[in-house]
Amino acid sequence: MNNHYLSKMKIRLFGFLLLMFCISVTSFGQTQSVRGVISSEGEPVPGALVIVKGTQRGTVTDIDGSFSIQAAAGETLVVSFVGYTTKEVAVVGNQTSYTIELALSTSNLSEVVVVGYGSQIKKEVTGAVVSIGGAELRDMPVSTIAQKLQGRLAGVQINQTTGQPGRGMQVRIRGQLSVSGGSEPLYVVDGFPITGDINAINPDEIEDISVLKDAASTSLYGSRAANGVVLITTKKGKAGQTNVNLNVFSGFQKVPQRGRLEMMNAEEFAQFKKEYYEDAKQPVPSVFQDPSIYRDKTNDWYDALLQTAPISSYNLTLTSNKERVNTSVVVGLFDQKGVVVNTDFKRFSLRLNTEYQLSDKINIGVNVAPNYVYDNTPRTDGTRGTGIIFNALHTWPVMPIRDESGELTLFNRFPAETGNIFAYPNWVRSAQELTNETTRLNLLATTYLEWKPIKGLSLKSTFNVELNNSRFFFSNPSTATSAINQAIPTIAASIRDNNNNMSWLNENIATYRNSIKDHNFEILAGFSNQHFRLDQSRIQADTYPDDRLLTIQSAVNINRGGTFNNVQEWSLTSVFSRFTYNYKGKYLFTASARGDGSSRFGVNNRWGVFPSTSVGWVLSDEEFLKGNEKVSFAKLRASYGITGNNNIGNYTQYALINNTVNVAFNNVVTPGAAVVSLDNPNLGWETTAQFDIGFDLGFLDDRITFNYDYFVKNTTNLLFAVPIPQESGFTNFNDNIGEIKFWGHEFQINAVPTKGAFRWSVNANLSFNRNEVIALADGIDRVYGDFHITQVGKPFAQFYGLKKLGNYANAQDLANSPVIPGRSTVGSIKLEDFNGDGVITFGGDRDDRQIIGNPFPDFSYGITNNFNYKNWDMSIVGSGSQGQDVYMRHLFSTANLDGVFNMVRRAGDRFRSPENPGAGIFGTTVGGGNVTGIERDWPNSNFVWDASFFTIRNITLGYTLTKLPKVIKSARLYASAQNVFVFTNYWGGQNPEVSMQNNGQGDGGNLSPGVDLGPFPVPRTITFGANINF
Amino acid sequence: MKKYSILLLILLMSFTSCDDFLTVVPETQLSSATFFKTENDFIQAVNGAYAPLRAYYNGPAWLLGELHSDNTFYMRNVLFGAVENSENLADFSVPVSNGTTPNTNVLAAWRQLYLIIARANQVLAPIDAVAFNQESKNNVKGQALFLRAFAYFHLVRYFGKVPLHIIPVPGRDGSGLPLSEEAAVFDQIIKDLTEAVPLLPQKAQQLPGRVTQGAARTLLADVFIYRKRWADAEQVLAPAISSGQYALMASYAMVFPKNSTNKNNSESVFEIQYREGADGLQGTFLYQHLPLPLTVAEVRALFNTGNPQPLDGQGNNIPTPDIIAAYETGDLRKDVSIDVITVSGRPGSNKLTPVIKKFRDNHAQHNNHGVNWPVYRYAEVLLLMAEALNEQGKTAAAIPLLNQVRTRAGLAATTASSQANVREAIFKERRVELAFENKRWFDIMRTDRIQEIIVPYGRRIVANPLNYYFPPIPGAVPRNNVFTNLDKFYPYPAAEAEISPFF
Repeated sequence: MNNHYLSKMKIRLFGFLLLMFCISVTSFGQTQSVRGVISSEGEPVPGALVIVKGTQRGTVTDIDGSFSIQAAAGETLVVSFVGYTTKEVAVVGNQTSYTIELALSTSNLSEVVVVGYGSQIKKEVTGAVVSIGGAELRDMPVSTIAQKLQGRLAGVQINQTTGQPGRGMQVRIRGQLSVSGGSEPLYVVDGFPITGDINAINPDEIEDISVLKDAASTSLYGSRAANGVVLITTKKGKAGQTNVNLNVFSGFQKVPQRGRLEMMNAEEFAQFKKEYYEDAKQPVPSVFQDPSIYRDKTNDWYDALLQTAPISSYNLTLTSNKERVNTSVVVGLFDQKGVVVNTDFKRFSLRLNTEYQLSDKINIGVNVAPNYVYDNTPRTDGTRGTGIIFNALHTWPVMPIRDESGELTLFNRFPAETGNIFAYPNWVRSAQELTNETTRLNLLATTYLEWKPIKGLSLKSTFNVELNNSRFFFSNPSTATSAINQAIPTIAASIRDNNNNMSWLNENIATYRNSIKDHNFEILAGFSNQHFRLDQSRIQADTYPDDRLLTIQSAVNINRGGTFNNVQEWSLTSVFSRFTYNYKGKYLFTASARGDGSSRFGVNNRWGVFPSTSVGWVLSDEEFLKGNEKVSFAKLRASYGITGNNNIGNYTQYALINNTVNVAFNNVVTPGAAVVSLDNPNLGWETTAQFDIGFDLGFLDDRITFNYDYFVKNTTNLLFAVPIPQESGFTNFNDNIGEIKFWGHEFQINAVPTKGAFRWSVNANLSFNRNEVIALADGIDRVYGDFHITQVGKPFAQFYGLKKLGNYANAQDLANSPVIPGRSTVGSIKLEDFNGDGVITFGGDRDDRQIIGNPFPDFSYGITNNFNYKNWDMSIVGSGSQGQDVYMRHLFSTANLDGVFNMVRRAGDRFRSPENPGAGIFGTTVGGGNVTGIERDWPNSNFVWDASFFTIRNITLGYTLTKLPKVIKSARLYASAQNVFVFTNYWGGQNPEVSMQNNGQGDGGNLSPGVDLGPFPVPRTITFGANINF
Repeated sequence: MKKYSILLLILLMSFTSCDDFLTVVPETQLSSATFFKTENDFIQAVNGAYAPLRAYYNGPAWLLGELHSDNTFYMRNVLFGAVENSENLADFSVPVSNGTTPNTNVLAAWRQLYLIIARANQVLAPIDAVAFNQESKNNVKGQALFLRAFAYFHLVRYFGKVPLHIIPVPGRDGSGLPLSEEAAVFDQIIKDLTEAVPLLPQKAQQLPGRVTQGAARTLLADVFIYRKRWADAEQVLAPAISSGQYALMASYAMVFPKNSTNKNNSESVFEIQYREGADGLQGTFLYQHLPLPLTVAEVRALFNTGNPQPLDGQGNNIPTPDIIAAYETGDLRKDVSIDVITVSGRPGSNKLTPVIKKFRDNHAQHNNHGVNWPVYRYAEVLLLMAEALNEQGKTAAAIPLLNQVRTRAGLAATTASSQANVREAIFKERRVELAFENKRWFDIMRTDRIQEIIVPYGRRIVANPLNYYFPPIPGAVPRNNVFTNLDKFYPYPAAEAEISPFF
């Protein structure tokens, strides 16, 4: 490590500590015991927070709404509670008893918001933070937290890219992207940045979620903060209360007919084949001479894979906060079958949170949350080798799913003269017989010890551990495969993968908080060490004599290339501190910084420093707005800071040797080795500098609140495998290069249009995100993705290909237009000669390709409506995106004009002759692959379609029972529908949010977003449930 | 305050072990900082330099060297598009733009050959500074020098001027170099091989499959002949012939390595080592040189594997009527080299299709065989020597060498006697003796006979597409741009040209 840096760190840390310990405790006036009762609309309010303004003295009300606190005359009590307007009451003379009436709040400005390393009153927050309580999300019948958050939060784009249970959620905060580094936000659970899958956490364990968006709020997470930070706080008991809650729901999921990709039925397909041979002036194979024989005899391979699937969830929560012990226990069981046969997702979870007040000065806390997740998803998503659904979509509908006796066929192959060039396995068999399961055992444990030696000072040490063990098992017997063109029997194969990882974190934090007159400040300083280690072993084996026994030892082959073990490890040492100051609660200032030393960074560049600062001004506290009847709250805020992205791989800095570059000599395997990467001792993090400005407004006693943010951020030093000439023997050099600029606007509005017996509240948000690539590496102005280009001066990852102008209408058109030499014919796809050289070319930097679409929306939005009338409640959540395109990748097969696959119904209306040119979308079939291949093999604008959508995510209707046995405090029954309806013109499949994933785990290829290859469908879910409090 | 001081001390102490904590080296992979220290490291590294030869000979080598000649053609399958990368080579329509081509096979050849060079450079750069057994070091050095020269010899014949890397690249800077003149590349090749010859052991002393002194002499002779340095070729080759290390196999059928036997036999000078199985060392080229589609039964009949799979696509490297006609009557090599099989999925009434036979052998697993690829064998050594002698006017000495090859093939002694006639006889003999061994294109281009041979070949295809395996389907005819690119050199691969500032 760089000693100079280290010594600077030490000096800084020492300085802060010194400051903390040396500041003297301010004196204040003579206090007395003040008591009171808090109520609202005649009911006591238990659990309300009462603090003496500008001090650390605070308490919460008990079950009767009463409290007792030390306060001096002249001081002010601040009473706050979620859902109520915060009230300030002056302590007058010798009055020791107060009755305080709280008004129901329409806004949550007085709420306490969880921020990095602490919490803040929402009013005093200077960063861009959005938060949502777990209670608001409780009824949604989905498996993951991200699904629940879709459309709820401005600036947080969440797409469900596949319907596989428990998977496929892609979360992007403020459109952050990287060329090759990860783009998922950092998830922090109870202060612990986790390394495992956030989807493993039972959503019912969550008390509240805060999303930190700007640099001021995230920079305390330093080199991991650039993608935004999601803080998750798990359940705690409410003061003085013991609650037992049972939340159960059960229902079913189904894929709606509407929105499915429309493929040809058997008769239409036979008609197409007949026309194909007629147009080619070839004899029509006998099986296609009379298409009408297939009428009503369609084998719908896609539909055959689907089922109506049950879903159910049971959660029992116990919380108790009495005496000196605060405990919560959440036991959960979630059980979901998938809408594709043989899909199964189960989660058993337990959480035990305990805080114990050892004395007035010492608290300890232990949260332990083990869970077990089992999931089996057939190989549904992917291309011809692994995507059963994609393969099923383009399997001939004249091929029988079942034979005469009702048994599933083994595989189908028509005689060669019918143009059938592939053997089609029976995909239903594939789904049923393939095993593709993951079992995960996770343990998340966070512990702390807090010591408050003097008033205002807290010294806190935490020790957190995360353990994950996951076992993956894939197998296919000889009777089933996920790959097309495999005759049955195929080669039985298995993959076993065992992952063990462990991450620990120790943090030591000192916080000092005080007020001197109207000057309120907090100083936080700390240091931490985190370490992660993954041990993986994978065994791939094939060629089994017996399908019933797919063990390792019974395999004939152990596949060398797929059998390995792997260790991934990183360490992170950090120092951090924050200074928060406000004057009278209306002039707000925060500065923070974190220094991160990471094992991932090159030896010459081991430490990064990530500072930020922010200011806020509460205008509504100024004389000119105070007491304004209309404007109840107004705040301006601005922030600037620098954050990093350290998702650059663990060993990217090293020149690695591959010691499995083996050779055979004398027909014996002989070990070989080769240097396979170049080292870069200067490698470091990606840097994002972000400026944010925004305001928060409240009108009519905060009955309407409005938030706005504008941000602009520049990401530089992007991790990039800079392509280098391969005459070097290497494909690339890992370096920090380039610059991407992001900017955007975020709007959020909360309003209560009607109050009283019929209460209606609405929450809406709207986000605009833009980006532009400012620079890549020297001499490199573009990077190609699969069907994309990331090019300097243009937005990131645009669809790239040839622009379709139509089809060559006739011989004259063909003669007068640029063509592809040797390939273009009358009726074949006519493309734009973009470079103007007279011929159509594809490949290289100077061909005819151009930007043909944008996978990113113009804007995205969400709207949530809540209605209450007497005992009834209803909520409707919707969200959408406008202006984005999807690349309908599956068309390369589902519109293969050679008739080798089943096709989209629209391909029936194609070019057949100059007199019969069809709808103009699909060209002639005549000429074979030499002609038709252009249309499907050369990425072109025919693949790109608008995928704007608005989805009604959820409608829930609930009824609260009033006449109950005494043991039940309250009970509510509800019905909930998820993914109720999708409004879209996208026709390529039933999910316009689709994006092919590289790994199926949510973080796909950044350079190739928005690709549809027919993934696992997203079902509509209908459930019935009950919330019962005991 | 004492309590706090202790606390402070603890806090600061936590930083002392920071350096160790932050140094995390990869546990399951070695890094270059710790490699190239021992004899074993260098042996493994030179082994690694052989590895790309497998991919090169499974793919680009025959595409650029044999399909791109009058010996083989593709079999058009109208159901398949995206076949232009092989078609362009077979029918001489490789697209060129600013001296570059998007053809992926040209790109693959470039990349695999430079991978060999880079790995050889990794061995050669540090080896002299590391002390270990001199005999072993000489052997490793000799192999690395050979492999580097071998790759450059292929590159310079494909492209002419190429970047000349003789040290490992340090980083992004220096990863691309300007094109070196052909002469400079040949100087380096000759220098490397001249240095390699004395370092390398004879075949009998070398592990079978590794480069030998005989291989280095043969390669160097091939280089000299390409450069028309006939006397140098004779001089370097003579010791290989007299070494007693090599002999012709008794029959032509016995020449070719089998799936697990007959490898590196006494006729073999240098061959690419494949091994059947799940180790990733297998050959797949047998499956590339096939007419398609083939049913399971037809695939089983060819290879007798335990798990035959149907094959589809567009077939490649199908022997042309021209090569079939090139065999003299009674040439035993014809039936060893080519047979005719029934391809039931072939459109039209004629299902009988010629296919390369000489490399074929039964094996266990689909698309995974251990048959080696012969690069240099003693028959070629004799023909190279015959050519070197004949070109120096030593025609009488050349004829017996030629006849050794002919006799083994069941043919009478050559009737040629003049220098010109013997030159032609050797040229023809090379075609049939070395058919499908990726020699034909180099023989045509190095003798400046492209116009003479390829132009009429193209005319025959356009005139009679059915004879060249086009299906009897309306419109399925040679494209209108066939035989338009008859350049001696391939254009540079476009994907590399985009990145390199030098071409």
